[in-house]
Amino acid sequence: MFVQWVNGIFWDIAVVVFVIGIIWRLIAVFRHGTRKDLAEPRGSAVSGAVYTGFSRFLPRPEIRSKISLHVIAGYMFHLGLFVLLLFAAPHIKFAEEHVLGFGWAAMPHWAFVVSAQIAFAGLILLWLQRILNPVTRLISRADDYVGTYLLFLVMLTGCMAMFESYTGLRIAHLLTVELFMVYFPFSSLMHAILFIPSRGYTGSLFGLRGVKA
Amino acid sequence: MSAALERGVEKLKGEIDARVVSYFSSCVHCGICAEACLFYTETGDERYTPIYKTEPLRKVWQQNHTFWGKLASNLGLSKPLTDSDLADWEELAYDGCSVCSRCTMVCPIGIDIAYMIRKVKEGLAAAGYVPDGLQLAGERALKLGSPMGLTEKSLRAAIAEQEKETGMSIPVDVVGADYLCMLSSNEVVTYAEFIGSITRIFAKAGISWTLSSDYFEATNTGVQIGDSKIAAELSGRIVKVAEKLKVKYVISPECGHAYTTIRWDAPNFLKRKLPFKVVHIMELLEQLHKEGKLKTKGKFNEAVTYHDPCNISRRAGVINQPRSLMNMVATNFEEMHDHGDMNWCCGGGGGVSSNDRAIPLRYKAFDVKKRQLDELSANTIVTACSNCRMILEDGLEHNGMQQEVIGITEFIAHYLE
Amino acid sequence: MTDKRKRVRRGKKFMLWSGYALLLILVLPLIPYTIQAASNYYHRPAPVVNPIQIPDPGSGLWRDVRQRDKSYVGTTQVQGVDTGVLINADGEKWRLYRMDTLIPYGAILMGVVLALILLFYFVRGRVRVPDGFSGKKILRFTLSERMVHWFTAFLFIFLGITGLVLLYGRFVLIPLLGPAGFSVTASACKEAHNLFGPIFLFAMLALLITFIKDNFYARGDMKWLVKGGGMLGGHASAGRFNAGEKIWFWLAIILGFALCITGLILDFAVVGQGRQVMELSHVIHSISAVVMIAVSFGHIYLGTAGMEGSFSSMSNGYVDENWAKSHHDLWYEEVRHHTDAVPLKTSVAAGGIAQARREI
Repeated sequence: MFVQWVNGIFWDIAVVVFVIGIIWRLIAVFRHGTRKDLAEPRGSAVSGAVYTGFSRFLPRPEIRSKISLHVIAGYMFHLGLFVLLLFAAPHIKFAEEHVLGFGWAAMPHWAFVVSAQIAFAGLILLWLQRILNPVTRLISRADDYVGTYLLFLVMLTGCMAMFESYTGLRIAHLLTVELFMVYFPFSSLMHAILFIPSRGYTGSLFGLRGVKA
Repeated sequence: MSAALERGVEKLKGEIDARVVSYFSSCVHCGICAEACLFYTETGDERYTPIYKTEPLRKVWQQNHTFWGKLASNLGLSKPLTDSDLADWEELAYDGCSVCSRCTMVCPIGIDIAYMIRKVKEGLAAAGYVPDGLQLAGERALKLGSPMGLTEKSLRAAIAEQEKETGMSIPVDVVGADYLCMLSSNEVVTYAEFIGSITRIFAKAGISWTLSSDYFEATNTGVQIGDSKIAAELSGRIVKVAEKLKVKYVISPECGHAYTTIRWDAPNFLKRKLPFKVVHIMELLEQLHKEGKLKTKGKFNEAVTYHDPCNISRRAGVINQPRSLMNMVATNFEEMHDHGDMNWCCGGGGGVSSNDRAIPLRYKAFDVKKRQLDELSANTIVTACSNCRMILEDGLEHNGMQQEVIGITEFIAHYLE
Repeated sequence: MTDKRKRVRRGKKFMLWSGYALLLILVLPLIPYTIQAASNYYHRPAPVVNPIQIPDPGSGLWRDVRQRDKSYVGTTQVQGVDTGVLINADGEKWRLYRMDTLIPYGAILMGVVLALILLFYFVRGRVRVPDGFSGKKILRFTLSERMVHWFTAFLFIFLGITGLVLLYGRFVLIPLLGPAGFSVTASACKEAHNLFGPIFLFAMLALLITFIKDNFYARGDMKWLVKGGGMLGGHASAGRFNAGEKIWFWLAIILGFALCITGLILDFAVVGQGRQVMELSHVIHSISAVVMIAVSFGHIYLGTAGMEGSFSSMSNGYVDENWAKSHHDLWYEEVRHHTDAVPLKTSVAAGGIAQARREI
């Protein structure tokens, strides 16, 4: 009964909340609009937005040494997570059967294990830093911790269900994924999408002023 | 809720736009901005983390624009802003931030933190939480036309002194001149050599220019306070005299926020395009040099460095011009390890210099500049902002350092052919 | 409420929540069990039929099949390690080691250590700072040292719990969860243990690099040991780390690396290791694990409930001056004059300004 719910109705609800929630959050940003900048431009806003859109993937050399842990752990976690999400065989099978209708080449098992380890190490380091560094301790909100723990559970149940030998483990993974998807639009996990307009707004302002930001 | 607090909260609500919503919605609280902030790196106090300084605005956004915030507010679980919050953040936003926007440059999400701190100041100012020194400077600027309380009399005195010095006559209120040069109060009382220097350079280059006796002040205390009404009023005065004198260009003098304000913010404050172009004095000098109208002879052979004013480099894009000007006359030009758009602030920007109670903190924050300068052999520091110059001189003296600080226009004028 | 107190309270709240989250992770294996148990409710296992005892006429043949005296080498078309072995004769030895030695003695060791800690607590009580807290704080562990410690600790606890589930689950969890429930739990723990294990190697390397320089033998360590670390009465001098901490460090390093190496041998059976190597690895792995877990109980006790003022050194990095004088007097003398070692936050901007304004 519960298994069927998780496989069926819960998944449907999660998808609906996830999609509508994201659209709602995007509307929440863009409905305010921005005023046109009336100052005579020195450069292009669009190229500034594009430049900043990419430049912020790398740390400025001036503070690189101070934030090496952020950068290394951050990349370990994000890259590991995306590789798992996109190239794990069960995920591709799931996408083919339930979401997209087509699949693509999966990564070998050893690559799955390595990327999971990298992602876990990165996530644990980022979480420890959040708790131990006075700066992040001060500015972190409950939301940041909930997002971290939810994702940890998603990844952990996923790895426990690696060989798909038990329905229970697969269902536990699916259930945590559904929770994660429902939570996503209501949290700062939205940064996964909203980093684009944020960089764009800042980049266009600096682009107009002729500063490479 | 007190009336003052209510005014502040209403103001903050009105400050929320698409950028603010996007910024707060995407902040992951990684704390990287702290590593870029001189008030944090020099004190080690995590309260000076840049994004933490926007907390009042974040709270208003969270309680009025998010699912969880609205839910908590309706259930009576949220803790609204209090008077004591505003009092705490008055210290963080005015004493512990020079709005240098170095944090903006390093945020991996691309959040313009300085933009939001500026908005926090709007709310604090509306509620009356402004440091006394800055408040008084604002009142003087509105009433007398200069944050230092200078009047036309002081300007006339400075002009007379510089005419004697240079032996040239200085144009004042010339209708139809090409360029109108604004001044900062500092350049009238402390660094009047600036007036003499441009007089000599412009005479050589054959530039048609003028000063204005009606309103000479380039600085804008409204921006430093974060009160856009005062800011619009003060920048409107510049536009008014420029229109009255029918000039084609307005020159922003050696002052950081004066340039950013009149060049980039004034059209948006006044909601119209300006009928003249705005150039920073360095932009003009570099252009004159390129056109062959500014020629120098002799070289400065000792080691010399250049301090970027944040509002001119990072916030307004005048980065290459000072380098080309420096290399024009200096044979041994040294860069500080972080410079250009990632320079370290002198610690006195954003109105900190008008705020006497922030002096101990400002001296602490100056440690980073001290370290930067200690690495160099340069005994001369050239800069392009009279406020930076004043703060640098003060910081050097406080630390018993011997370096000399000089404005770039004056520095160039020494080697005029 | 002042800003500072608010911060401290929020910090505590966050720590508490982190603890809850950890608990949640630990009870996670129960979720799939509940689901599995619900669907398997009617599938009870069939009763075991007792075999009839009859003498074996082919005992000679079986002796050969077992290759006990290595007289026969099996041949097979399957190419691989140990594929010529029909029955692993040493397997029974290993099984007996695990069932009759490791499991009971491991449990006894861990139980005895816990009992000793309890006894120590009732006899000695919580070790207090002699003159109370002075209020002056000294930095004991930097942010990166704390990061390394907790990274190792997190993995150690995670691997410890999943490992113990695999070792003792059949006694502790089968009665609770039933065979089907334990089956799914054990499978989940095995996957998680195998996945997290290799990360532990990097944690051990970081631990070694970070803490080795203060953990070499120094003069006075012997005296400290003789005095029982001052626990028996009297004062025992110590530097940044006392002899007890140093022993724990080297024990953790040696056992930790032994665990990592043997763990990798067991986890990745792809480089030609045969059954005997695997069995030997498991013996080393399990003994190291049980000893390390048992000793860690003492470490955890002294770092938290057992000693007043210790935990803050690993949470926010600071210890009280009186704590330092009492437990690490030689280190205290070293750092007290060193201004960098006491980077107290001097709130340069008067935090009092806002305060004063409020009061006006």
